[in-house]
Amino acid sequence: MKKRVRTDIRQGRAGQNRLPAASADFTTTAEELMLQPDVQKEIQQLVELLKQHNLTELEVERQGLRLRLRRETAPGLPAAVVLESATAGQRAAIQSPATPLKAETPGLMTIRSPIVGTFYRAPSADADPYVEEGDLVKKGQVLCIVEAMKLMNEIESEFDGRIVSILAESTKPVEYGQPLFLIDPTPAS
Amino acid sequence: MFKKILVANRGEIALRVIRACKELGIKTIAIHSEVDANAMHVRAAEERVCVGPADDALSYRNIPNVLSAAEITGAEAIHPGYGFLAENAHFAEVCESIGIKFIGPTSENIAAMGDKAKAREIMARRGIPVLPGSPGELRSEQDALDAAQKIGFPVIIKASAGGGGRGMRVANKEDELVRAFHAAQTEAKATFGNESVYLERYFLEPKHIEVQILADERGRVVFLGERDCSIQRRYQKLVEETPSPVVDDRLRREMGRTAVEAVKAAHYRNAGTVEFLLDKDHHFYFMEVNARIQVEHPVTEMVTGIDLIKEQIRIAAGMPLAYRQQDIQLTGHSFECRINAECPEKFTPCPGVVTRYHPPGGPGVRVDSAMESQAIVVPNYDSLIAKLITHGQNREEAMARMRRALDEFVIEGIKTTIPLHRRIFNDAEFQKGRVSTGFLERFLTNGSS
Repeated sequence: MKKRVRTDIRQGRAGQNRLPAASADFTTTAEELMLQPDVQKEIQQLVELLKQHNLTELEVERQGLRLRLRRETAPGLPAAVVLESATAGQRAAIQSPATPLKAETPGLMTIRSPIVGTFYRAPSADADPYVEEGDLVKKGQVLCIVEAMKLMNEIESEFDGRIVSILAESTKPVEYGQPLFLIDPTPAS
Repeated sequence: MFKKILVANRGEIALRVIRACKELGIKTIAIHSEVDANAMHVRAAEERVCVGPADDALSYRNIPNVLSAAEITGAEAIHPGYGFLAENAHFAEVCESIGIKFIGPTSENIAAMGDKAKAREIMARRGIPVLPGSPGELRSEQDALDAAQKIGFPVIIKASAGGGGRGMRVANKEDELVRAFHAAQTEAKATFGNESVYLERYFLEPKHIEVQILADERGRVVFLGERDCSIQRRYQKLVEETPSPVVDDRLRREMGRTAVEAVKAAHYRNAGTVEFLLDKDHHFYFMEVNARIQVEHPVTEMVTGIDLIKEQIRIAAGMPLAYRQQDIQLTGHSFECRINAECPEKFTPCPGVVTRYHPPGGPGVRVDSAMESQAIVVPNYDSLIAKLITHGQNREEAMARMRRALDEFVIEGIKTTIPLHRRIFNDAEFQKGRVSTGFLERFLTNGSS
């Protein structure tokens, strides 16, 4: 589903920077997903829920990851919470909370931000975004801008493929390594 | 006062700064590399920004990413800690130009004090006793020979842009000088990218005494006692104490006033340390100014009751010093042991998983550390994992507390320097306070002093 994204971009300098994306992984395992700070935060919240409501077991499936939390001791004593995780299917692709992905999606590449800055989907406020979901892109093609200290850095794709998902929100800050796009390097068509 | 500060560091010093900010009601932003995503200092801060991969040149010292992190989070000031960007004059200058306050000295201070030969010149012109040495950079072998003949052997040739014991060579006699000169230049070029060297008289068994100062933005300066850092291995400090067992009140006042004079000569701002060499006859000579908060600052905090990090933040926020010199009182005695993740025999870094970590406690014991059970000591950064600090009413009590605390300290899964510190604190010469900078090397080769 195509959407026009209106963005608010400050004027950058004439000299644009073109940057390759940071380390793009192939896929992410359950263990790696569990180390992500936002997932860790969520796990902590679930632990709190467990304690607050005096539950002995809680199972949750989110973002292609199934988590089971189980209290080892009787309620009233300090809980030792056991964490079991399994990916839905062999591997799950990492994605932003805003765009939940269907279960098994192996083989997607993640484009990550190589710098710290502000993410913009289009070159200027009244321009079209560089890419939309579903677009075919080529290696070296500019996908977005990350602005840092008034310098507009054009982020290039490292692969040929199709944009499956846009993971960052335009005008929002992004950190080093933050996932920006999911690309299917071997699109069907 | 600042509302938000970005801490451009990691580990124990990042946690230290975050603690001071919390007490002042200032929000904090932690930056981290990818391998530090779950580090204690990151969890302690309100906001976090990943600034790069493990390699600190690409993360903690990545100036564009660090400044961009400050921009996107709205940080008004950056505390650089020690190491990393703390003495990077260019970084301080860029902060100044974009309106983010660098919590520390000015970029000019850093540049001037970072050039060791130039710093000595500034002090010498002000009449401050400097270590007998070449007036400036040695431009040739002949320069070196002339300087050495005037000053007298033995001499040491040191890198102007140097520190940490690198780019230094001793020459005991004239026929060793030329080789020492070239070797020092080569190492200086390789380590610091700058082959400029200068020459000083070399003292065999000096004591390393440094004076802590604070200077506000109106130019008011106070000194906060001295620290004795004579327990060193290859110019890396291992144990520090205050006050120095060989410095009496009169010498303390003289060195303190000289340190204040040095700082004023340099128009220095914020926290800093003036390093002196003390010879056997208790003559002291200016060595250098460390333009940063130092690792061993806690021992000064213990005896003065003054929080140096808070003072840095207050000074940077434009507040005048809350203390006059007569308000600075030194009470009791304090030691610090640097606990490094190193194999005790070879001092090689010993990274790994800390399977069990339980720091000591009780009266007069303070531990500054970002270590915890199940944490991983990564090989990418320096090996300091904890600072163990004790305080007592006198030197004996502070030592007894350190011996007790070292025995209580549990760190399993990696090797640390705790066994070495135990041996040092059980050594008779150390207990008498009669150690100079050669002590530790001899201690290690002989098994005792």
